Amino acid sequence: MNKQFRFLVLCGLLAFSAAVRAEFTVEITRGQDIAIPIAIVPFASPLGAAAPFDVAQLVANDLDGSGRFKSMARKDMIDQPHTGAAIIFDDWRRLNNDYILVGQLRNAAAGRYDVVFELYNVLTHQRLLGYQISTDTADLRLASHEVADMIFEKIVGIRGAFATRVAYISVIGHVPHRTYRLVVADADGANPRVIMQSNQPLMSPAWSPDGRSLAYVSFEDHLPSIYVQILKTGARRLVSARAGVNQAPAWSPGGKRLALTLSNRSGNLDIYVMDLATPALRRITHDPGIDTEAQWSNDGQSLYFTSDRDGGPQIFQIALAPGSRPRRLTFEGSYNARPRLSPDGTHLAFVTRQQGAYRIAMLDLRGGGGMQVLTKGRFDVSPSYAPNGAEIIYATRDSGRGVLALVSTDGRVQQTLKSSEGEVEEPAWGPFRSK
Amino acid sequence: MPGFLREHPGSVALSLLLHGLIAAALILVTRISLYPSATAVQPMSIDATVIDSRVLHAAAQAQAEAAQARQAAIARAAAEAAEAKAAEAAQRRQAAAQAQSAAAAEQHRQAVAAEHAAAARLATETSAEVRHAAALQHAAEAQRAAEAEHAAEVKQAALAAAAKRAADAKRVAQAKLAAAAKQAAAAKQGAAAAMQADLRRQIAAEEHANAVESGPLMDQYKASLANRIIQAWIKPPTARKGIDCKVEVTQVPGGEVTSAHVTQCNGDAAVRQSIENAVYRASPLPVPPDPALFQRDFVFEFKPNE
Repeated sequence: MNKQFRFLVLCGLLAFSAAVRAEFTVEITRGQDIAIPIAIVPFASPLGAAAPFDVAQLVANDLDGSGRFKSMARKDMIDQPHTGAAIIFDDWRRLNNDYILVGQLRNAAAGRYDVVFELYNVLTHQRLLGYQISTDTADLRLASHEVADMIFEKIVGIRGAFATRVAYISVIGHVPHRTYRLVVADADGANPRVIMQSNQPLMSPAWSPDGRSLAYVSFEDHLPSIYVQILKTGARRLVSARAGVNQAPAWSPGGKRLALTLSNRSGNLDIYVMDLATPALRRITHDPGIDTEAQWSNDGQSLYFTSDRDGGPQIFQIALAPGSRPRRLTFEGSYNARPRLSPDGTHLAFVTRQQGAYRIAMLDLRGGGGMQVLTKGRFDVSPSYAPNGAEIIYATRDSGRGVLALVSTDGRVQQTLKSSEGEVEEPAWGPFRSK
Repeated sequence: MPGFLREHPGSVALSLLLHGLIAAALILVTRISLYPSATAVQPMSIDATVIDSRVLHAAAQAQAEAAQARQAAIARAAAEAAEAKAAEAAQRRQAAAQAQSAAAAEQHRQAVAAEHAAAARLATETSAEVRHAAALQHAAEAQRAAEAEHAAEVKQAALAAAAKRAADAKRVAQAKLAAAAKQAAAAKQGAAAAMQADLRRQIAAEEHANAVESGPLMDQYKASLANRIIQAWIKPPTARKGIDCKVEVTQVPGGEVTSAHVTQCNGDAAVRQSIENAVYRASPLPVPPDPALFQRDFVFEFKPNE
């Protein structure tokens, strides 16, 4: 009897211990879309010297600008550790920080610096990053963006895109004394460099996949022509100057071909693909309507483009294989144009018209969900994805002036970028820098 | 068997009572263990099983202890019975010896009386001298007989005293045995009563726990925990619908989180970290509206629905 009883009790206990683990569960289905609190402690300067660059400030600006972080104000810091060993975690936790970045700027040699930094989780005391970046004085800004990229990736789970560049067109002055500039700047708008300047319109900058060249349209000969320019040397090459229209260049994923829009004698616009090496041309669309603004699919086998073949402008996809017929992708609204493919190839961003206003919208190419409108402006145009796919840069108007703006692809974060002067339009976000 | 029953009615009754209690405990346990699987909407009712298992454990222990006490009592009683039997046998042996010695004394007396009668007959038949001689002889014989009789009487008295001593010893032994049996019975009764009281307390605690766990207080506690975590979880963009992560949490009374470990999780490193951080950010966790609901270890399951 005793034995039997014990056996039964044992069975019961086993059943319960198994059940307890599985069953005492509280389900969490929501979270906060709030910024992650982080302390970015000013970096230690080289001994006996003024800091040549405020690394921590730039990192804080980058992270805050993403909308996903809220960095602690320096005046609120009760301590300024520069190494992990010097961090008193309980203090930083009491000040409501989830993470802390500490570091030092060391003078390695004449004109060279080491950026040494460590990232810690304040709640778990875990060391998440510990690196040293060696750089020239001139590239301290870039190194700082790289620090921000690493933090962003470690905490948010998405590769950071702070150390990337954006090309855009700026227009200064008024007709007939207008100046058009093709500018390449850091993704935060700093460090602008003029690539090309003309008193005739410049349009449609497009990055080569390796980030070394830009294709663009220039009216410098009073007719639109397509050029490819190498950024480092400034050397440029005229790739298309046919009679009529030459516009909307787009690089193939491998960078060897260019899709472009050309017109025939009757002025009908169609899409062609040019082999940059030969330079052989092949016509892709055959329609009496306007076909333009081509974008490559990631596999290089098809193109997305805008066409008014069904009346108003809508977005289509066509395979490059001969005899392919285009397939219409957008059906909501009477105006959907200028498609751009997300880096992972799952979404298209484009311009849609809503009650007379132009806005940036997104479509999930995997089907379902329909169109999602991301912006709320009156004239939001020219979308371009960040290489990490987390944000879209676009052109908009602020107090009648053309400016650039950012929206996160989840629609959560929206911000307008300050521009120094003139009108800014047609932004094109460059690829990740090759490491 | 009926003899055993007659001899140990207390023990048998106690044993029956204990079996009844155990059966009741088992039925209770079975009923509770069946509940959670039957009602999936009340996963937290499983909390009761923790207390259950403790109760069971204690009951088992009490049962084992009681059984042990019972066995000891039985062994004690058996030893005492054996002792009594031995005393009885000794007594019987002594009585037999007594009877034998009494018979022997009687024979001797009869023999002496016969001799005495023969001597008297002889005396009437002899001459005076002879009678005198006979009388002298008779007197001597009578004296011898009297001496023998006295010896027999002394022996008898000794035997009687021995018998009385034996009887006294038996009485004392019996009294002792009875006292021991009474003591054992009392001890058994006390143990049973203690166990019963214990069980009653545990059952009451369990019933209370059951009542609060299946009642609105548990829902309230669950909601307050979920709310605190929702407020504390900064959801990374990769925590989309389809993500399912479990984090095992240990708290101390007062709600301070002492550990949080993501176990099963189909999310990336950022999702895992955000979840562990959420639990630490939420520390101290809300205290339950009823202390019976406190659970040291439990699981938060993160399943974003958008």
